Amino acid sequence: MPPVIEASNLTKKYGSHVALDRASFSVQPGRIVGLIGPNGAGKTSALRAILGLTNYEGQLKVLDSEPFRERTRLMHDACFIADVAVLPSWLRVDHAIDFVAGVHPRFRRDRALALLAKTGITGRRRMRELSKGMKTQVHLALTMAIDAKLLVLDEPTLGLDILARRAFYDALVNDYMDETRTILITTHQVEEVENLLTDVLFIDKGRIVLDSSLDEIATRYAAVEVAADRVAEARAEKPFYERRLLGKVVLYFERPDLDRLALLGEVHTPSVSDLFVAKLSGGAE
Amino acid sequence: MNNYAWLVRREFWENRAIWMIPAAVGGFLILCGLFGRVDVMSIATRVPSLAVGEVFLVAVGGTFFAVMSIYATWYLLDCLYADRKDRSILFWKSLPISDATTVLSKLATALIVIPVVYFVGADLTTLIMAFILSVRAHSLLGAALWHADLWLQLQVLWLYLIVTSAIWFLPVAGYLLVVSAWAKRAVMLWSILPPIALLLAERWFFGTHLIAIELWRRLAGLGAHAFRPDGGWVTTVVDNDTIRTPAGVWGFIDAGGFFSSPETWAGAAVGAALIAVAIQLRTRRTEI
Repeated sequence: MPPVIEASNLTKKYGSHVALDRASFSVQPGRIVGLIGPNGAGKTSALRAILGLTNYEGQLKVLDSEPFRERTRLMHDACFIADVAVLPSWLRVDHAIDFVAGVHPRFRRDRALALLAKTGITGRRRMRELSKGMKTQVHLALTMAIDAKLLVLDEPTLGLDILARRAFYDALVNDYMDETRTILITTHQVEEVENLLTDVLFIDKGRIVLDSSLDEIATRYAAVEVAADRVAEARAEKPFYERRLLGKVVLYFERPDLDRLALLGEVHTPSVSDLFVAKLSGGAE
Repeated sequence: MNNYAWLVRREFWENRAIWMIPAAVGGFLILCGLFGRVDVMSIATRVPSLAVGEVFLVAVGGTFFAVMSIYATWYLLDCLYADRKDRSILFWKSLPISDATTVLSKLATALIVIPVVYFVGADLTTLIMAFILSVRAHSLLGAALWHADLWLQLQVLWLYLIVTSAIWFLPVAGYLLVVSAWAKRAVMLWSILPPIALLLAERWFFGTHLIAIELWRRLAGLGAHAFRPDGGWVTTVVDNDTIRTPAGVWGFIDAGGFFSSPETWAGAAVGAALIAVAIQLRTRRTEI
């Protein structure tokens, strides 16, 4: 199957500031991909380009469309929540459902109503009467009721409490996700999504610094916890990052010799968030 | 076409003022009709009833038309700016509706939907007021306000005005849409400043005022282009006053002149170009 998103040398400049610097990556169908990077790394620029909200240089194909030129066509098969709580304050919940049902051929009203019923938000209320969390839930219900091939979520659960966040991600994986869909998600709460991601894209200073599936991460990276007195020995194996932790040191290795590391201390696969910190602080590559 | 219907419905949800203002104007006029201390009796006894009917219908219609012009201007300035300001544009752009469709639906709302709403509002108001005044002023005024022919002429006049002003003011509407799609803040100021700056610059550097003339011809020129100045008058002398009232709308409407005037179509072409610019801006400018 062709990739859902294919970017090569994707570049976006704002005046002299380069937000995206020849970024190349692809996203395969059926994956849940986390686009992860620090603030100002180019996450939002990348998402805006993918969604056809902004012009760009380089090549970009999303579901066989050129996003900026063919946004309307793209939005038949893709949907997104860009940042939170952007539903207009004057819009009534029932009108929002009517409108999307009216203009979107892939919208399933019954699904939206079922999702909303779970939240207890009633139809005639206006967005301005709802809390930020409720607004987000309405938006999520509207979006998840669209039978899209690609769903893009930018900080989808900001403003939601921990129960609602957990419920959202559970619904996303259990009710929404199947092999025909692809999800691209950015969030600061990496810990919260790392269990459901199948792939990660690390972005820093406008460049992709890691494009990998979680399976690959397990074979490619390793972290070793060593006692302080064996650090010098461990450093000989060329870690790319180290972190002090309660009298011990955790060293991170790329393509390590696992047998030799095992002699130094306890070896484990780094979590996405640890790898993210290691990659970005450690002067990757 | 279906998308346009939804987008216009959306405009009604967002801008409840579209129907609330004419409702308020109508309500106010009706209250005046109910409780006003206008001495209708004395007028009605001395002036021919047709003239009274005309003055009445034109006064109510004119009030609605004036309010509508102001509201439509404000609507056009706000329509592509409001959703950038509250960032809800990110929601609208997540739906499969093209930017051209969005901009054209707003243009159609301003130039057709809003005028029709006001037209209906004016009609309802005149009907109710005519009824109230008839009851209040007994039979004297009653006859003056119920000329079927006059009513028919008023409908024609309204429809003619809606069509001609939609075409004539297309460049103005296009300009307002460009400002609305472009400005980061203070749309009102941005709509006024560039023409004034141009006007002053022209005067400063060339000592001419062609822009001012052209602007004035556009803003105030609909009457001169769409109507004949002398379409036949009826003169009545009441006491020492001479009252001149039009004999009917037919003589004044100059459809042939309007639709064959190069100025009409040159303006429409400029308007179309500006609307294309507004669509481009809408595509590129997502957030403030």
